[in-house]
Amino acid sequence: MAMAGKRKKKTLDSVLFHAGTCLLGLLMVYPLLWLLASSFKSNDTMFLDAYSLIPQVWDAAANYASAMTGVGGVSFLTFLMNTVVVTVIGMTGCVIISLFAAYAFTRIKFWGSKFFFGCVMMTMMIPPQVMVVPQYIILKKLNLIDTRTALVLPWFFGGAFFIFLLVQFFRGIPKELDEAAEIDGCGKIGILFHILVPVVRPAIVTASIFAFYWIWQDFFQPLIFMSTTRKFTLSLALNMFLDPNSYNNYGGLFAMSVLSLLPTIVFFIIFQRYLVDGIAMDGIKG
Amino acid sequence: MRAGTVFGKMAAFGKSLFCCQRPLNSMFIFGEKSYNTDMKHRAVSEIKQEEYEMKRSMKKMTSIALAGMMALSVTGCGGSEKAAETTKAPAAEATKAPEAAAATEAGKETEGEPVTIKITWWGGQGRHDYTQKLLDAYSAEHPNVTFEAIPSGWDGYFDKLSTQAASGSMPDIVQMDYLYISTFAKNNTVTDLKPFMDDGTIEVADIDEKILNSGKIGEMQAGLPLSSSILAVSYNTEVLEKAGMEAPADGWTWEDYIAMNKAVADANGEPSALAATGGPISDTNIFNYWVRQHGGSLFNEAGNGLGYEDDAITADFYQMWKDMMDENVAPDPDEQAQIATLGYEGLPIVTGTAATTIDWNNMTSRVSSINDKLKLALPPTTGEADSKGLWIKPGMFFSIAETSKVKKEAAEFINWFVNSEEANDIISGERGTPVSSAIRSYMVDSGKLNPQQQDMFDYVDKAAAVAGETPAPDPSGIAEVNEAFANAGNSVFYGQVTAEEAAKTFREEANAILERNNK
Amino acid sequence: MRFWNATTNKEGREGAQETDSPFSYENQVTMQIKQKGENEVKGKMKTYKRQDNIAGYLMLAPWLFGFILMWLLPMLVSIYYSFTDFNLLNTPSLIGWENYIRIFTQDKTFIKAITVTFSYVLFLVPLRLAFALFVAMILNKNHKGLGLYRTLYYVPSIIGGSIAVSIVWKQIFGNKGVVMSLLAAFGITQKMSLLGNPKTALGVIILMGVWQFGSSMLIFLAALKQIPTSLYESAMVDGAKPWKTFASITLPMLTPTIFFNLILQIINGFRVFTESYVITDGGPLDSTLSYVLYLYRRAFTYFDMGYSCALAWVLVLIIGVFTVVLFKTQNNWVHYESGEE
Repeated sequence: MAMAGKRKKKTLDSVLFHAGTCLLGLLMVYPLLWLLASSFKSNDTMFLDAYSLIPQVWDAAANYASAMTGVGGVSFLTFLMNTVVVTVIGMTGCVIISLFAAYAFTRIKFWGSKFFFGCVMMTMMIPPQVMVVPQYIILKKLNLIDTRTALVLPWFFGGAFFIFLLVQFFRGIPKELDEAAEIDGCGKIGILFHILVPVVRPAIVTASIFAFYWIWQDFFQPLIFMSTTRKFTLSLALNMFLDPNSYNNYGGLFAMSVLSLLPTIVFFIIFQRYLVDGIAMDGIKG
Repeated sequence: MRAGTVFGKMAAFGKSLFCCQRPLNSMFIFGEKSYNTDMKHRAVSEIKQEEYEMKRSMKKMTSIALAGMMALSVTGCGGSEKAAETTKAPAAEATKAPEAAAATEAGKETEGEPVTIKITWWGGQGRHDYTQKLLDAYSAEHPNVTFEAIPSGWDGYFDKLSTQAASGSMPDIVQMDYLYISTFAKNNTVTDLKPFMDDGTIEVADIDEKILNSGKIGEMQAGLPLSSSILAVSYNTEVLEKAGMEAPADGWTWEDYIAMNKAVADANGEPSALAATGGPISDTNIFNYWVRQHGGSLFNEAGNGLGYEDDAITADFYQMWKDMMDENVAPDPDEQAQIATLGYEGLPIVTGTAATTIDWNNMTSRVSSINDKLKLALPPTTGEADSKGLWIKPGMFFSIAETSKVKKEAAEFINWFVNSEEANDIISGERGTPVSSAIRSYMVDSGKLNPQQQDMFDYVDKAAAVAGETPAPDPSGIAEVNEAFANAGNSVFYGQVTAEEAAKTFREEANAILERNNK
Repeated sequence: MRFWNATTNKEGREGAQETDSPFSYENQVTMQIKQKGENEVKGKMKTYKRQDNIAGYLMLAPWLFGFILMWLLPMLVSIYYSFTDFNLLNTPSLIGWENYIRIFTQDKTFIKAITVTFSYVLFLVPLRLAFALFVAMILNKNHKGLGLYRTLYYVPSIIGGSIAVSIVWKQIFGNKGVVMSLLAAFGITQKMSLLGNPKTALGVIILMGVWQFGSSMLIFLAALKQIPTSLYESAMVDGAKPWKTFASITLPMLTPTIFFNLILQIINGFRVFTESYVITDGGPLDSTLSYVLYLYRRAFTYFDMGYSCALAWVLVLIIGVFTVVLFKTQNNWVHYESGEE
């Protein structure tokens, strides 16, 4: 009896949980659904039924065809390739270099570490809007304006957010751990990669997810730094669709938005698995 | 590469840092489920093994560093190559104007030699596509000219342009807006086109002098207008018919305008008197028309203050719209924000609930593919004949950067853009009514225009007949003045202050802004 | 996770002499806190080893290179601009403190913008963090389909600033939108929509900020994963109630992450730009004009870069004060396993 009751309660709990999270989840993704629905609507009638999720006049083929054609004579695939290259290189550099910096800040006592950590925090505080002009001038002096390097550079050498994030996670690991390793003859980089990295793997995955998404949709700096359409990333290409003073191809814009969002969502779905299978879970299993 | 040496040093220093026996895979192979990090099992004695593993790790580390370096240098090379290609065109820190005549001479020297012209414009997808075609067509005719096109959306266009100007690397030809042309001209970032007009590089015989002068800032021809626009009321014939109303007649008054919209609004239950997508106070254009109708001018000649004395003009304008909003004849700021969201395609006059909108004369052709029932009428008058409120406003300009090394070639292209039938066949009025009267009649005769475009062209002639002097170009700081105007107006519409108070606030703020910007 | 158990066991043994329950979860945590004190004493003797200095700077070098190039130099330049009349197009000339004086004496919009930004931070930060932690706790359990839910909840953060979101939000909270109909159903009718009303528009912007709790949630999730399961196991052996487990294990172990999220959200809150730029463009009546939106307008719409840089450095100062104060308080409530201050 008691067992049956418990099981019943468990099922009820589960049903409640799924119902609740689903409902909330729907609220969360409504804009995405709206975007998807709008990308199927005919451009000319799109805003006649802007409030409906079911298109009255379907025109998905034309919208997606125009999205694939791209803009300014450059195809969607070129933009996609640019974005992928920039994102992958930027993300890799960003996470690894942040990892080194975070390790230095937490595990090595060196002269000036507090000062430089202050610098890290400072870079988070200054609004990027006033940094872009000096940055442009520097990149121009280095002959890097309108190159993909200019897109990667602001990310490649790590970022305050990532350093701070990893610092916080490193500090959550007992120092006895590396001390033991050190006694066993492990060097600094050895400690970082063999002791700390496995433990903070969830944090590294999180950082990678953020880095991927942020570089993917980075807009303001690329907008200023890039000129040649065929070197544009997706977010820049999307911006070229709209001009408030002329007739706009909203259908194509929404279709391209959907296509450019897909990789970030896929990336997240793949990588969030490693949040589940983090090292902490191994403890239970083994 | 500096980054490379950093990595290199790290790898070298690695000897003292590295001494762990595990390969460096934990970082990269996330999938590995049960990674064994058990410290206790690590034998201290396995020194040989350690050394071997250390080398392996170092190799990996170095390869990472190399990969990073390569990633940087590959793209870097691309960049410098590119830069080498175009060093002829841009750069040069010296923003100070060389003599225009000297520039012309320099132009002559390079005639026939291969040149690259950097050109930038804002627009939507359609404009980008046909402008690219246009550039290709020009290159086909002039094999020595290649273009580097820098298309952009409206968002961020001027952010980028001003950043480029700040570092002396503005593209050679820039599409310029009326809002900013005086700011760019005053700071000597664009070149004077007068010498090119004088020597016939740019033909201006077919361009109305009023409209041409709108690009004249002080003594300088800062830009060549590409198109002209005139305020117009667009009305939806179907909506009016349904409400049993007559189409607006020339010389109709603001009272007629309000009465017509009230009738439609009462019938439909929706606001009917629209103005652009942002409403009547989103910028100062409609207000400018109003001030001119009442015998004033919005700005004084020096551009450092308002040009009319009577605050009642402002107050009446605010009050008129406030009254219309209160009776649900015009959308209140809240409804206006909703309307603005959906852009031109979703305007109630296009979707069929509103009867009129005050906008530029290209409004109906812009939405013709969605709704072809819209027509143009002259905007309402004060009732007094001959009030000369209308003026011909330049739609957009082409300007040439002061830092450009290919001014002559750029000017030739602008001339072709404005005066050639071939170019205008491709543009087909997308940038607004062409400024050249010869091109206008060519296009009308060609029979390629749709009824709305035809209407737009006809309207220019009709309106030009009753238009007054073209005012001096908007002064520097106009964007901020617009903001102040909208804020003051909205505070009336939200019922926070009276129209008189708002008029006073606007005057104070506008004068302060203009004075600061036009010392 | 054997190595973790090894260390915790070691400590447990040391603790055994003091308490009856050597493997108590509480004991483990308190032991760590005690040790923190000892480490602090050790830290006072600050002699830097040469080898550590070299190692530290080598590890930091790549970041330092990027920092100097992309941050330090531009920062110095922007400080210089803040003392000039730079308008993006002219050659800047020094005007002393004029920009700063103008900010504090003549600029009404500055006061408006700072009020808006402070209220935004005040409401957004606690709400978003609470929500993120709550959802992270729920999603940290072993239910089926968690991956899907995590994705659902993260999606808003991905599509944050797009045109679609702007249109959807205006639609939901607009005068014909769902929210207004709901309010009407409860008998609350008003002419103005929530986004159009200067009194409520900021509320909607804050709500949108809360809705994008995904990134904080992810960070909490990662931190929850990092808590050694052995702690929970011993708690279970002791028969601790769920809320007690939460209060004595989860919460203390999460404090570094809470601290991180708090700092981060405060900094980002003060720098809020996209939300007000995309949805309301600062309106109605400047009621959602955030500080950074204002300085952006100053820089690129009004061509007043020098002034904008001055505004930016005033903001850095404000955020800096908040951050430093928070860092000072962390000794009192943030618990680090590594035993640092």
